[in-house]
Amino acid sequence: MLTLKNLTKMYQTQDIETVALNGIDIAVAQGDFIAVMGPSGCGKSTLLNIIGLLDSPSSGQYFFFDEDVAQHSESKRSDLRKRNIGFIFQSFNLIDELNVADNIELALLYQNISRSERRDRVADVMDRMGIAHRARHMPGQLSGGQQQRVAVARAIVADQPLILADEPTGNLDSAHGREVMELLRSLNDEGSTIVMVTHSPAHADYAKRTVNLFDGEVVTDALRAA
Amino acid sequence: MFSNYLKIALRTLQRNKLYSLINLFSFVLGLTIFVFGGLIVKYELTHDMFFPNSDRIYTVGTQMRGDVTAGTTGRNNTVYTAVGPLIDAELTEVEQVARALIRSRVVAIGDEKFNQQIRFADPSFLKIFQFDYIAGDASALDQPTGLLLTESTARRHFGTADVIGETVTLDNKLDLLVTAVIKDVPANSHFNSTLLWDAEFEFMAPIAAYSQVSNFNITGGFRGFNSMDLTYVLLPEHLDLAWLEEGLGGIYQRHMSAREDKYALGLYAAPLADANLAFLDNIGLPVTTIIQLLSLLVIVIICVNYTNLATAQSLGRSREVGLRKTMGATRTQLLLQFQTESLLLVSSGMLLALACLEFLIPAYNTLTGKGLLLDYGEELPGLVLTTMLIGLAAGGYPAWIITRSSPIAALRDEGRQGQKGSWLRSGMIGLQFAISAFMLALAAIIYAQNLVVEEGSYIFPRDETYALRLNLIKLEDKASRLEILRRELERIPAVAGTALAFTVPFDTKWGTYQMSRGKEKDDAAPELMYISLSPEFLELYEIPFVAGRNFSRALGGDRFVKGETEIAHVIINERAVSALGFASPGEAVNQRIYAQEDSEEGIEYLVVGVVPTLPHMGQLNQLIPQIYIWDEQRFNDLSVRMQPGSDMPDSVRAIEETWKRVIPEYPISGLFLSDLFMQIFRVFLAITASLAGFALVALTLAMIGLFGVTAFMAAQRTKEISVRKVLGASTWQIVQLMLWKFLRPVLVALLIALPCAFAASSLYLRLFSDDRITTQVPILASAGALAVSLAVITVISHVLRVARASPIVGLRYE
Repeated sequence: MLTLKNLTKMYQTQDIETVALNGIDIAVAQGDFIAVMGPSGCGKSTLLNIIGLLDSPSSGQYFFFDEDVAQHSESKRSDLRKRNIGFIFQSFNLIDELNVADNIELALLYQNISRSERRDRVADVMDRMGIAHRARHMPGQLSGGQQQRVAVARAIVADQPLILADEPTGNLDSAHGREVMELLRSLNDEGSTIVMVTHSPAHADYAKRTVNLFDGEVVTDALRAA
Repeated sequence: MFSNYLKIALRTLQRNKLYSLINLFSFVLGLTIFVFGGLIVKYELTHDMFFPNSDRIYTVGTQMRGDVTAGTTGRNNTVYTAVGPLIDAELTEVEQVARALIRSRVVAIGDEKFNQQIRFADPSFLKIFQFDYIAGDASALDQPTGLLLTESTARRHFGTADVIGETVTLDNKLDLLVTAVIKDVPANSHFNSTLLWDAEFEFMAPIAAYSQVSNFNITGGFRGFNSMDLTYVLLPEHLDLAWLEEGLGGIYQRHMSAREDKYALGLYAAPLADANLAFLDNIGLPVTTIIQLLSLLVIVIICVNYTNLATAQSLGRSREVGLRKTMGATRTQLLLQFQTESLLLVSSGMLLALACLEFLIPAYNTLTGKGLLLDYGEELPGLVLTTMLIGLAAGGYPAWIITRSSPIAALRDEGRQGQKGSWLRSGMIGLQFAISAFMLALAAIIYAQNLVVEEGSYIFPRDETYALRLNLIKLEDKASRLEILRRELERIPAVAGTALAFTVPFDTKWGTYQMSRGKEKDDAAPELMYISLSPEFLELYEIPFVAGRNFSRALGGDRFVKGETEIAHVIINERAVSALGFASPGEAVNQRIYAQEDSEEGIEYLVVGVVPTLPHMGQLNQLIPQIYIWDEQRFNDLSVRMQPGSDMPDSVRAIEETWKRVIPEYPISGLFLSDLFMQIFRVFLAITASLAGFALVALTLAMIGLFGVTAFMAAQRTKEISVRKVLGASTWQIVQLMLWKFLRPVLVALLIALPCAFAASSLYLRLFSDDRITTQVPILASAGALAVSLAVITVISHVLRVARASPIVGLRYE
């Protein structure tokens, strides 16, 4: 599904050049559930941003469904992004001024989907996530775990095949964290491909495969012993 | 501590160069206008204060009767010339009374001969106003042949200020001797006021001298109001305005109400300080108040704009605030720190504004002939106070907002919440756009109407007709020499024709007669503009006849001779035909009409011809009912039409030579009709220009304000925009979203402003009752479209940047 070949990302600030990713080779197959781990500053988020087509690499190749997207323009990336990728963030990133249903609908808003179909799909996904009774609530009225459920709902409502999660449990207590991880695992079971950045080895255990990064390089890439 | 504040402030300003520049620019613009407006108002309101006793000097005016139109107070700052002597005789407690009449007369100094505006005053005038005498004293006008000159006038004509005893001949017959020379009267005196008349204080002669060269009776009369005539009163310390007005009421009762005066309803007095602006105040145009309000409005708008931009910016700095609070900074210290920034900006803005004024004030003085002065010594406390207050007012809100949150919340960057006050911000933007669109639309409409008026003025051959003014020539000289002058002028090859008349097109002097078809008294009879003209006049201006015929030199009875003619032949225009109630021009011909004036009793007027109605008072394009009569006693202007394509300067020289040959004792005074037209028309151009200027400033401010609000809202919604982008919104979709939000107040503003502009411009266009533009609505629409486009450009220029920014930045919260 995704293939990263010799991928490099450098940041340049005045006279200092920082290497964030250095020769990354990763392949993600359909149905994978990958946990990316590593200490702060190792390049986890940069990697996720590049995979999520929010950022472009400095060099190397990135095949997204057999298409090299490494040098795509922002508008092309945006187009691929909205059809194929759902995002889950550590800080949820729900819009405070919109209620739960509207927040979820946002993911469909930019995809040429009719209003009635949008409403149906939002209702469906809220049922699945068990948040239908919160449809009219504002994000500020929900607990962290509930907010992340809404964010997950937003990530999957458009049926994107790939879900990227950037420390989805970072802002949650352990009980809510577990709950979200269970949710991700069941999504994976239903066929979604998931790439997740996490600090927690316990949560990494939910994934099928763990990639360890250190100073911008892959140090281990191992399937979890089942 | 303070140097740390200053350092942070400077760095913040430096980091956000665009915002800093926009803020600086708007402060410079606003403070320039504010200080300049303040100086103008102060200057206009402190006229004549340098005269000792200025607080005891009053002018006397007339409360007018009758159809006072809306927008005027009905006050006229002049009185009949008889009122001065009456005050002197009957209000004996009054210390001094004096009249000063401004008249244009022929003056000869040696070989030099010219027309000069002279102030003819009662001798007591010099007891009321204490001038700086270089030579002579306040008794200068006691002798009926005395003459007072200003220093620069003496130098101009004699080359020296030492001119006591020199001779100046008035109207070729009365020798005046210079008895005093005074220092030039400062520009900030109503004597030199440029607001109403163009007659600087140069020559002053006794009123007795005037009565010797004219038929003016020294005790004055009860006829006519001349805006050039003022009557002054000096009261003793213990008497005040109320006492004076009571006394004037008595004089009106005793001398004027019994005369059943047609014009005067009463008398009033006004302090000398009001004399400068009396004309504008009397027509209900409180110029100084308007200037004060406008400059205050500008400052308020600028403060609000700054507040928006600064609040938007400070939202990104809540982390800094949180850190400082954690380190133990008190709220007061933080407030002070943020205030330092706005104070720094306002101070720099003030310095730059003062630099602008150093250029602006001399330019303004040159343009208007005023003596505005920015006296730093005197204004410094006010300027410093203004800077401080504006700095505090503009920076107060953002500083308060940013420093109010708890340190933890600030560190978490939670300051971005809250839509409170957004309607206020939108409202302010809407108001600014409403004002600027209103002025823009009005300026555009007045401009379009100006074009119509200017175009209409070409109905007369304005570029090739030269008007010679004859008002200073004595009647006996007119009778004996005008025909010779006319015939001699026609011998110049470049001259196509000449015609004598009371007036020329575009001239504003006019008189009316009430005319009716019946002999009996009729108060509702129409007023006809009464013009004397020779048979050549209508030919020279190529005015065709609708019915009847022109006056003819060949036929006997056309020429009117006062005291002899019993049936006066007249020509009327079509407007007069309908005003008099004739069904058609043809029906009016050979009909008799009668004047309602007593002085014309016993004269019948026979209509011999009818001409179309032309915009004689070209500046307003008004079509007025007119009646023409061939009365050589009333000829005041000689129209000289040149051959098309002839060399105009050459032709004027030839005219001047002929004049000097035929009537050498009078100086020539003439101008092209196009220049005459411009004399009045430039007022309209000036109105357009200043409106357009105001519109430009208002629009600039509105755009800066809109930019500020856009920045503010965009900063508040960074996260939302990022989320939307991550979810696939294109840059254009984000721009659309934001654009609509900001355009809404602008559109609402236009919905209010444009109908107002329509109403205001309709009011203005009413002045041009007969030839006005019909494109009012398209012009309004274009002005609205322009305002919207500028708003769109402003919003897009900012939103585009925000919408293009990488969403990663907006979402990085960890």
